[in-house]
Amino acid sequence: MENDSRNPNSSITIDETNPLTSPSRRRSGHRVEWPTIDGPLGLSPEDSLPYARRFFKLGFLCLPFLWAINCFYFWPVLRRPQSDPLLRRYLFGSAIGFLLFTAILLSWAFTFAIGGDHLFGHVWEELVMYNVADRYGLTGWM
Amino acid sequence: MDQNPRPKTIIETLGEEIIRIITPVSICMLLVVILVSVLNTDSSSNATTISSMATMAYAENTSDSIWDKIKGALLNSLVFVAVVTAVTFLLVLLFYLRCTKFLKYYMGFSAFLVLGFMGGEISLLLIQYFSFPIDCITFGIFLFNFTVVGVLAVFMSKMAIFVTQSYLVVIGMLVAYWFTLLPEWTTWMLLIAMSLYDLAAVLLPGGPLRLLVELAMSRDEDIPALVYEARPIVTDDSGLVQRRVWREGNLSENQGHSSNEGNIVDAEQGRILREDSELAAPLIQHRISVRMNSNEDSSENIALEGIGLGSSGAIKLGLGDFIFYSVLVGRAAMYDFMTVYACYLAIIAGLGVTLILLAFYRKALPALPFSIMLGVLFYLLTRLLLEVFVVQCSVNLLMF
Repeated sequence: MENDSRNPNSSITIDETNPLTSPSRRRSGHRVEWPTIDGPLGLSPEDSLPYARRFFKLGFLCLPFLWAINCFYFWPVLRRPQSDPLLRRYLFGSAIGFLLFTAILLSWAFTFAIGGDHLFGHVWEELVMYNVADRYGLTGWM
Repeated sequence: MDQNPRPKTIIETLGEEIIRIITPVSICMLLVVILVSVLNTDSSSNATTISSMATMAYAENTSDSIWDKIKGALLNSLVFVAVVTAVTFLLVLLFYLRCTKFLKYYMGFSAFLVLGFMGGEISLLLIQYFSFPIDCITFGIFLFNFTVVGVLAVFMSKMAIFVTQSYLVVIGMLVAYWFTLLPEWTTWMLLIAMSLYDLAAVLLPGGPLRLLVELAMSRDEDIPALVYEARPIVTDDSGLVQRRVWREGNLSENQGHSSNEGNIVDAEQGRILREDSELAAPLIQHRISVRMNSNEDSSENIALEGIGLGSSGAIKLGLGDFIFYSVLVGRAAMYDFMTVYACYLAIIAGLGVTLILLAFYRKALPALPFSIMLGVLFYLLTRLLLEVFVVQCSVNLLMF
């Protein structure tokens, strides 16, 4: 039986552990702990680990937003201390990476914005985005 | 043992689903109205004409007579509809030849172009307008993150639903803003032409979108396209409150209760369909039309136009509909906010009518005609009749 939810071509997938299609699970009292924030519409617990690992590794390409999305998506796992420890390790890594990167980026951005040309001198005029856009004509395409 | 709470009434399930499709449409329209009112006030809307695919046949000039403008706009929109038809037929051909991977990559690529280039340009325009002191390094990192995560959200099948939905709304907003930069008459003619094209392409037997839907149904595949799918209602019941026929996925081995869980109930019509591990009647009805969204090359968005029922029973609305609704409201915003309110109400009413028809006919329907026609009608009525009335009343301190 092929697993419908692994079909990469279908943009809408059916989770076969979806309680809507497997009501017997709930009737028998077994509650599935969904690892994602989407609950039954999201990933199954088995699929979560490679997913989280992939996002964690991709985030190192200067993509802190991806780390943030990772933590957002697996928020129930972060909140529940008794879930999969391997998964939690990746999520903690993503969270720490995101916070670190954002701290550095924001401190640089605020220094730039508040310091102005008192701090930077001539370089400020060269670095600020609206001058860069004017210089290279970046808004002339539309 | 789960004690079922009281079953949800039809107002809660039906109303919830309608709200879940009307909210993103409204948010997209609101964002486009905000963008238009912020960015288009410094230059008059007639002065900025862009040369693009949509103005190839005729570049509108403010000094032309009304009849010339109408003729030119008609020509422009005919050219545009012809190109869209051709590209849609090409899409049908590719889908027929099972080039699904190519289509998926193309979808991701067009999302990258829209988010990266158009998103970047619009944010640059905003930065220039507000003189926001951001430096190029920070801006570059923000834009890079935004674009890459957007492409992943559109590309990957399993991503946080909220993130995917937000990115689709943002893509719709960016493309719609680009369309509002076209000259005025061309925009209105284009909207009317696209709604007529939508009607023909979905309902006529030879229409490209209908062919695509039938191909997808016969093969029981999903068309790789940009479509907004509302989050389906997750009920606690075992299936009695399901309002639509569900497509039962292949049961996994650890379930083992295939016999009586194979019932799916179509609560609206009270039938019980028994199915086995094979899929029941597929429900995905899609229509696809291709949008031209940039003037450099023929980069296209594979947008899904129209409205249908997803495999999980959720309502799916194509991104083309988001775009054209927002274009209409954005154009109305270029005149005055009174027309914005009138057109917004007209579009929502048209969407409601389309949803009712969807519930009746349960097949893919064009979502543009009702809303666009009502919107254009209300725009004309407001601009020509209502405004005079309201202004005179206000000036004479009678009402408003």
